[in-house]
Amino acid sequence: MEDYITIALPKGKLFQRSVDLLAKVGYSADNVTESSRKLVITNEAKKLRFIITKTVDLPTYVEYGAADIGIIGKDVLLEARKDVYELLDLGFGKCRLMLAVPENARRPQLEDYAHLRVATKYPHCAKAYFDKLGIQTEIIKLNGSIELGPLIGLSELIVDIVETGRTLKENKLVEVDSVFTATARLIANRVSFKLKYDRLHKLVTDLERVLKEEEEK
Amino acid sequence: MSNRILQVPYGTADILPGEAAARRKMEDSIAATFAAWGFEEVATPTFEYLATFGGGGRVSDSNFKFFDRQNNTLMLRTDMTAPIARLVATRLQGEPGVKRLSYRAQLFRYEEAQSGRQCEFTQAGIEMMGEAGPAADAEVIALAVTALQEAGLTHFTLSVGQVAFIDGLAKAAAFNTEQLQKFKHCLITHNAVGLKNLVRQQHLTGPLAQVMEELLFLQGDAKLLADLAEKLTEPQCLQALASLQEMYKLTEAYGVAAYVTFDLGLLRDFDYYTGMIFEGYTPELGYPIIGGGRYDKMMAAFGSPCPAIGFALGVDRVALALARAGKLEINRLTDLLVAYKPGALPEAIKACMDLRAQGQSVKLAPRPCSKDETPEAQMKVARCCAYTLIGKAE
Repeated sequence: MEDYITIALPKGKLFQRSVDLLAKVGYSADNVTESSRKLVITNEAKKLRFIITKTVDLPTYVEYGAADIGIIGKDVLLEARKDVYELLDLGFGKCRLMLAVPENARRPQLEDYAHLRVATKYPHCAKAYFDKLGIQTEIIKLNGSIELGPLIGLSELIVDIVETGRTLKENKLVEVDSVFTATARLIANRVSFKLKYDRLHKLVTDLERVLKEEEEK
Repeated sequence: MSNRILQVPYGTADILPGEAAARRKMEDSIAATFAAWGFEEVATPTFEYLATFGGGGRVSDSNFKFFDRQNNTLMLRTDMTAPIARLVATRLQGEPGVKRLSYRAQLFRYEEAQSGRQCEFTQAGIEMMGEAGPAADAEVIALAVTALQEAGLTHFTLSVGQVAFIDGLAKAAAFNTEQLQKFKHCLITHNAVGLKNLVRQQHLTGPLAQVMEELLFLQGDAKLLADLAEKLTEPQCLQALASLQEMYKLTEAYGVAAYVTFDLGLLRDFDYYTGMIFEGYTPELGYPIIGGGRYDKMMAAFGSPCPAIGFALGVDRVALALARAGKLEINRLTDLLVAYKPGALPEAIKACMDLRAQGQSVKLAPRPCSKDETPEAQMKVARCCAYTLIGKAE
C-alpha cells in the first residue's frame, strides 16, 4: 500500500462536491458514488484508492493511517478531536454550530442559561463553548433530531448545526449565539504527510489553484 | 462491581513468551549501540516528586499521580529527560566533561490507548549534556539512525526541524502572547488552515509572510535550507538554518544523510526544546517511532545550566513496526531436551548442567521416558529442537 494514496470521502452533504473537486485535480476513479456497493474503489493507473465512510468515522480512518487523506467538515473535526493534520480549507459545506432556545424561553443574557439541559450531537464542542463562558450546563448527547429536545421537555437548549435556519423556524426555536462557523477541510495522516509528502503537497497546491480559479469566476 | 480478577487495567498489556524474548533481543541491540557510542546506562526511580517533572516546564495532565505519607504529590515518570536532568544536576555534578547517558525504562502516561500507544510503555534513549553546536546535533542524529538500524528497521525517515528558526519567525511576526500560543498550537497540531488565518492577521509582507503561511509545508532535503536562507533576512532564522546546514554536512560524514529530511514547521509537544528537534517515521505506523532534540535551557531549572540534547525511541512502537513488516522473529524453541530412562534422573540433571555451562539452552524432561512416552514425543511437547537420552539400556 506504500505507493498508493488512500482517500476517505464522507457520506452525506459533502460527498458530491468532494468527488467533483478531487476529479478536477486528477484524483478520480470509475464509479465513485455514494451508493457504490464496493467498499474500496481503486484507480490502478493513478495509484489511488477511495473509501467512503460515515462522517463521524472519517477522522478515525485518517488518524490510524487506514486512509492517508480525507475531506471532512471542521465541525466533525473539532468534535472528534483526533490527531490528524489539517491541510486546507476547501471553503464549501459552510454551516454554523449555534445555541438555540424555544422562542418563548428566550432570556436577556447568555449567563441566564446556566444550569439548564442542552441537547446536542456535539457534546465536546458544546462543553468547550460553555466552559469558555463559565456557564455550567447538563449536556445530553443525541444522535439526531436535536430540535425535538425542547419540544418534548428533554432539554431547555440545543446546540446544533444550521445551514439555512428553516428547521429552527419550523420548530419555533431561535438562535441566541453562534459557537463557530465550519467549512470542509482536507485532512491528512501525520505519517502519510511525511512519507508521501511530494504527492500530497502537489495535491494541496493543485486544490488551492482550482479553488482560487473557481472563486474568480 | 464487575469482576476484575482476570482483567488488566486500561492502557496496559501483557507481553507473551517468544514476543518478550524478541523484544528483549531488540532492546539489547539498541543498548549495545548506545554503549558502543560511549553512552553509559543509568536508572532512576519509577516515581518521583511532581516538582521534578515540573522542572522541564509544564507538567501535562496526562499522568498518574498519588501521595506519600507526608502528603507530597508523587508521579509515575512520564519521560526520562527530567529525571536524568535531576540526576546530572545532583549526583554527577562534580564530574568533568560531557555527560553521555542512556536508559531503558518503563514510562506512564494517561493516553487514549491504541496499538503501540499504551498508558504504560517502554522507551530507550540517550541524553548528552554539556555540549552545544551542530557537531553534537549530528552525532545524536547519527546515533538515532544507527539505533533504529540495529533494532532491525530498514524503512524509516528522520524529520529534522529547528525551534530557534520558528522562534525567529514568531519574533519577526510580533505576535502577542495569546497569538504566540495559538501559533505554536497550530504547528503542534499541524493545522495549516489555522496557521494561515493567524499569519494573515499580522499583515506581514514579502518573503516572511510567504514563509510563515507555508511553514507547515516547508519539507524537503538540504536544498530547502539554502532556498530559505536566500529568502529570509531575520538573523535568528539565518543562524538556525546555518546550524542545520552544518549539521547536515556532518551527517554525510556519518553516512546517515540519506535518512535525514527537513521539516521547518516541526514542533514537538514538549515546550522545553530550544534548537534542533526531530521525529522519526516508518510506513508501518501512523505515529512517530522516535523523537528528540536540543533543550539548552532546562538544566538551568535544575540549578546546573548547560547545553543538552537527547532522544527517546519508542520500544513498543519499533517492535510493532517490525512485527507488521514481518521482521520480529518469534522463536519459542529451546535447543535441547534431556530425556532419561527410569532411575537416571541424577545423571540427567548433571548432563543438563554441563550442557547449559557450554552455552546451550536445555530443558529437563518432566519424567522418565517410557514406551508410551518416547523422548521424541517429550521433545515435541517441550518445544525443543533436539533431544539426548541419558541412562543405560535395559
